[in-house]
Amino acid sequence: MNPQPREKASSDKAIVAEHLCKVFNVTKGTLRRRKTQVVAVKDVSFGVDYGELFGLVGPNGAGKTTTIKMLTTMLIPTSGKATVLGYDVQKEVKKVRERIGIVLGGERGLYTRVSAIDNMRYFADLYGVPANIRDKRIKELLEFMGLSERAKDRVETYSKGMKQRLHLARGLINDPQLVFMDEPTIGLDPEIAKETRNMIRELVEKGKTILLTTHYMFEADELCKRVGIIRNGEIVALDTPLGLKKYVMDTSVVEVEGFGITEKEVARFKEVPEVLAVSATLSENKQVLKIQTPKGSEIISEVQEILKNSRIYDLKIKEPTLEDAYLRLVEGSVKEGSAR
Amino acid sequence: MPQPLRVIYSAFRLAMLHWMADPQWVIPNVIAPFVFTFVALTLFKEASGPFGLYAVLGGGMMGMWGNTLYSSGFAIEFEKWQGTLEEVVAAPSNLLHVIAGRSVSNALFGLTNMVAILLIAAFVFRVPLGIVNPFLFGLSMILTLLSVSALGLIFASAFVLTRSAQVFTNGLEFPIYVVSGSMFPIALLPFWVHPVAYILGPTWGVDAIRIAAGQESASLTFWLDLVGQRNGFLAFWLDIGVMLLITLAYVGIAIFLFKKVETKSRRDGTLVEA
Repeated sequence: MNPQPREKASSDKAIVAEHLCKVFNVTKGTLRRRKTQVVAVKDVSFGVDYGELFGLVGPNGAGKTTTIKMLTTMLIPTSGKATVLGYDVQKEVKKVRERIGIVLGGERGLYTRVSAIDNMRYFADLYGVPANIRDKRIKELLEFMGLSERAKDRVETYSKGMKQRLHLARGLINDPQLVFMDEPTIGLDPEIAKETRNMIRELVEKGKTILLTTHYMFEADELCKRVGIIRNGEIVALDTPLGLKKYVMDTSVVEVEGFGITEKEVARFKEVPEVLAVSATLSENKQVLKIQTPKGSEIISEVQEILKNSRIYDLKIKEPTLEDAYLRLVEGSVKEGSAR
Repeated sequence: MPQPLRVIYSAFRLAMLHWMADPQWVIPNVIAPFVFTFVALTLFKEASGPFGLYAVLGGGMMGMWGNTLYSSGFAIEFEKWQGTLEEVVAAPSNLLHVIAGRSVSNALFGLTNMVAILLIAAFVFRVPLGIVNPFLFGLSMILTLLSVSALGLIFASAFVLTRSAQVFTNGLEFPIYVVSGSMFPIALLPFWVHPVAYILGPTWGVDAIRIAAGQESASLTFWLDLVGQRNGFLAFWLDIGVMLLITLAYVGIAIFLFKKVETKSRRDGTLVEA
């Protein structure tokens, strides 16, 4: 695969989003139909440099996918403006589409009853890849993704990892300058997810610009040059992973592994003045509680008191990670906009 | 090859590959028209006149129209099921061309049904079809296929807007098949139905097929009486000419509707999930 230099429209940024907003009209009810409005994206502004791997993270329903769909011209913004590779996403739809690649996560999104070559050939035709270079490029991309040997087999016989690699290959069929990746590692086992991340890293080394959305903070930390955190349709923080971590540098994380921790107990932590953020997740057969606090070990006795009716397996005090910064920002403990 | 044709061909090719990979889809489309033809032939067994041809054309048209209508609407649903709709919508090619390719491929399957029915009728049921001009007969079938596909495209635009369009097209399958005069002459239908029949391309196509088979025009007699012929070369080409004009109008309407509904769906988010 040889990325070729492309012409650019006049813009020094690969992506410029200015106050993007998307409101959907929703009809509710069967007999008495009522129209309501749902604000999917309230006000999103950011820029992505050429050759950058930019991450967009946020909880479900925060507006990540809607933002991507506006930038990839699949949705028309209700208000605001965006340019992709210098082209207006509302007025120059075809020019944008010709120059970008899209990789969506999950096992779906491929024609499983036909081969990888047929999938690639179809999309090459949809993207108008010249016939004289189409087959060569398909061969190169499948080789790059390690799918050459199974290229003629039906996709339904592929493993999850192979399907994800085919997604990536398909997203590069038009040799795009910019690739949008929406949760490309979702549902993959750790080994395949790691393999996918390595592929993404290689693409950046080859000069591609990537906008990535992910649920996994360690992934954003590992891959992205800068990360935008989106909450309720707004960017609440935008910085390098290190810069974001600085927002929680004054805190430490008390991590409790246990069992039988109730929602009521989790809620009690939120009432403790020294606790800045708290999250509870289920990991394998245990619950993991993460409490962010500037007090560190000083609140351990209080933690033990609240959890006296639960079983505690382990209790550690850790340095905050990007995930902790994310949790604190998403929970709104850092004042909106202050992290930009 | 111009890009729109390339996309149409590629979508056609992919649909054919899927049909070959999923043979069970073909079964209802072959069996249903076959059974229909068998019943019709049995009913018309004692009748005089060209009823054998009506029965055969009726069964064949049913397969062709049913396939096209189903597939034009199903094209969007199929992409949704596969999870490929977003990738297809986000590509720089026109969605109408993608659906046109699928529509033609499915109408072609309907045409193969018609050929199968013709052969079964001729060799199994020994129906005297008496096709006078096989070349014009074949040509009129292929052009009718394109007209049916173009009509299917208009209905496909409704599916871009809403998935409940399925109910709408299901309801239209049988009326259009009857009104186009595939099974019996439209002269037998109430007069108020006739204007609807005349704006359907397949009505003219079926009439041309019938003329090519050596029969008299049975549906569009008012029109052909103006030129003093109900069969023959001139009548055939008049039918074909009008059908092609109507087909072009269908394509124009489909292009217009697709532009409108695509923009609307990008605004409302009805095509891709947000």
